[in-house]
Amino acid sequence: MQEKIILQYEIEQWLYKEAELLDELNFDAWYELLDEEIKYIMPLRINQMEESKPDYSEATLLFDDDSTTLRLRIDRLKTDMAWAELPPSRTRRNVSNVKIKEVSGNEVTVRSNLLLYRSRSTDTTADLISGEREDVLRNENGKWKLVSRWFLADQTSLATRNLAIFV
Amino acid sequence: MTTTRTKQVPRLDEMTRSELIQYLKDTVKPEEGLIPSYIFSHPKVYELEMEKIFLKDWLFIAHKSEIPNKGDFVTRELGGQSVIVTHGADGEIRVLLNVCTHRGMKLCRMDNGNQKNFTCPYHGFNFKNTGELIGIPFQKVVYGDTMDKSTMGLKEIRHDVYADLIFATLDDDAVSLDEFLGDIKWYLDLAFNRAEMEVVGLPQKWNVDGTWKLGSDNTISDSYHTLVSHGSIAKLGLVPTGDYSKYGYQIYTGNGHGLNLGMPNPDGFAFPENLINEYKERLHEDQYDILKQMKNMIVCVSPNIMILISSMELKGQQVSHTSLRIWKPTGPDSMEISAWVLVEKDAPEEWKRLSEQANTLTFGSSGIFEQDDTENFTDITQNSKSPYHLQENIVYNYTMGMHQEPVENFVGPGIVYKDKFNEANSRAFFRNWLDQITAE
Repeated sequence: MQEKIILQYEIEQWLYKEAELLDELNFDAWYELLDEEIKYIMPLRINQMEESKPDYSEATLLFDDDSTTLRLRIDRLKTDMAWAELPPSRTRRNVSNVKIKEVSGNEVTVRSNLLLYRSRSTDTTADLISGEREDVLRNENGKWKLVSRWFLADQTSLATRNLAIFV
Repeated sequence: MTTTRTKQVPRLDEMTRSELIQYLKDTVKPEEGLIPSYIFSHPKVYELEMEKIFLKDWLFIAHKSEIPNKGDFVTRELGGQSVIVTHGADGEIRVLLNVCTHRGMKLCRMDNGNQKNFTCPYHGFNFKNTGELIGIPFQKVVYGDTMDKSTMGLKEIRHDVYADLIFATLDDDAVSLDEFLGDIKWYLDLAFNRAEMEVVGLPQKWNVDGTWKLGSDNTISDSYHTLVSHGSIAKLGLVPTGDYSKYGYQIYTGNGHGLNLGMPNPDGFAFPENLINEYKERLHEDQYDILKQMKNMIVCVSPNIMILISSMELKGQQVSHTSLRIWKPTGPDSMEISAWVLVEKDAPEEWKRLSEQANTLTFGSSGIFEQDDTENFTDITQNSKSPYHLQENIVYNYTMGMHQEPVENFVGPGIVYKDKFNEANSRAFFRNWLDQITAE
């Protein structure tokens, strides 16, 4: 039991730290948390009839990244011409309901909720991106690295002008 | 003491319909390259657009590959009206108004699926996927013999198909789809008839506080913006710096439709090699010749479709990707973008996967090209809302390329300019737009 509580604590702290790095636009430090083999996926939420079917589709992906393309996105944000984030969005990632689903060797599968508040420029209305994550974290030499992220937004038609941010 | 204001803010909302139309004719001057900013957000202009364009034009609603089997359907929107595109039990494709004929409830609230019947959530009226009303709960008890079900089928909307693209119109008197599309078909063939194409998944959708017109304007004419708006991509070395997007042709084919064709492609053939014979069979020799050299193609089918073929190197391979999107108006100053990705049905699976990934990375909602465009659309639209713009009649400059003459020796149809840094297509687009919204 004690081991479980410690693991839960470690994973929660990792997710909070990750959220903090992204909110602080510290993308290089964030990138350090990613495994080289990372899969970073965002499927499409859809309105579907049957409850037995998942109400999302992985045939359409809003993010479909690996470590090379994530690096590219970060490098692009650092140019002085990445207008979608100039000035950068103010974001506030609220991570909650952290549930460890599976522990296998040095890997854990963790589900969490993400409520991402995004304020752009002088806008008085903010974008809210709410959804569910399934992450796989691997412990390498005492450090947790993100091996895969799967993020499913709650909206079928996103109320944000673009996904120039990370989820 | 009173002061006399020399300048007045024109009160478009207090004008009669004919005064407003006259005001538009007086202030929008496409041939002079002068487009006033108020048209990008004024609610009165939007009302005219919805009535004179979106209730009248042929609009894209689905690709045939989205509903391949009997019973398949997708729900879409047409001129602010929800419709169900069904592949009926009889094999026919229909576009049905998504409105129960009893009391107007939205019949189907799903994005897609496969169903023989649609049952209204309000009173349970039941319709076949061909539109026929087949069931009314307690019919005998509540209506006796007075209800004639045959007059209460779902309203069918006029539709037609070109290159597997399903278009519909809310205007029964509209010209044929064939006539509406005209010469743009020659170029649509390059995108959707070069091989059998299929949609990947469902369209992704996102919302931008910008007018739909800026999407179309950007599509039909504006290769020039890539220098700066997409300058970050050049800085990363993904495209050559400077004038990479200048080379090729800008082509106007009439009815508000036009394109920018980027060629030649210095990086070589960007389509699946195993389909070369299919391309040759399906395309005219001149069309295939263009496909061979194509770097990219950006097509606007008026009023609000963008078709894009782009290519890039991903994971060491030159790969093209093909997408279609609509800039769907949701208000005078806002739109929803819906974007479909298409691939050659018979391309190798790895090629398809790479093509989809290239599209997501560059032109989906998270696309590293795409995301910077929405900044332009948002800020231009929001700026244009100030009454100061109306008071001063602030006008934007669309005169680029007015000194140039079209070329005569291009193989495809249309008015063709050499190179893509030109605003001729925007001038033609806004002329067509103005003629439509000011038609009595």
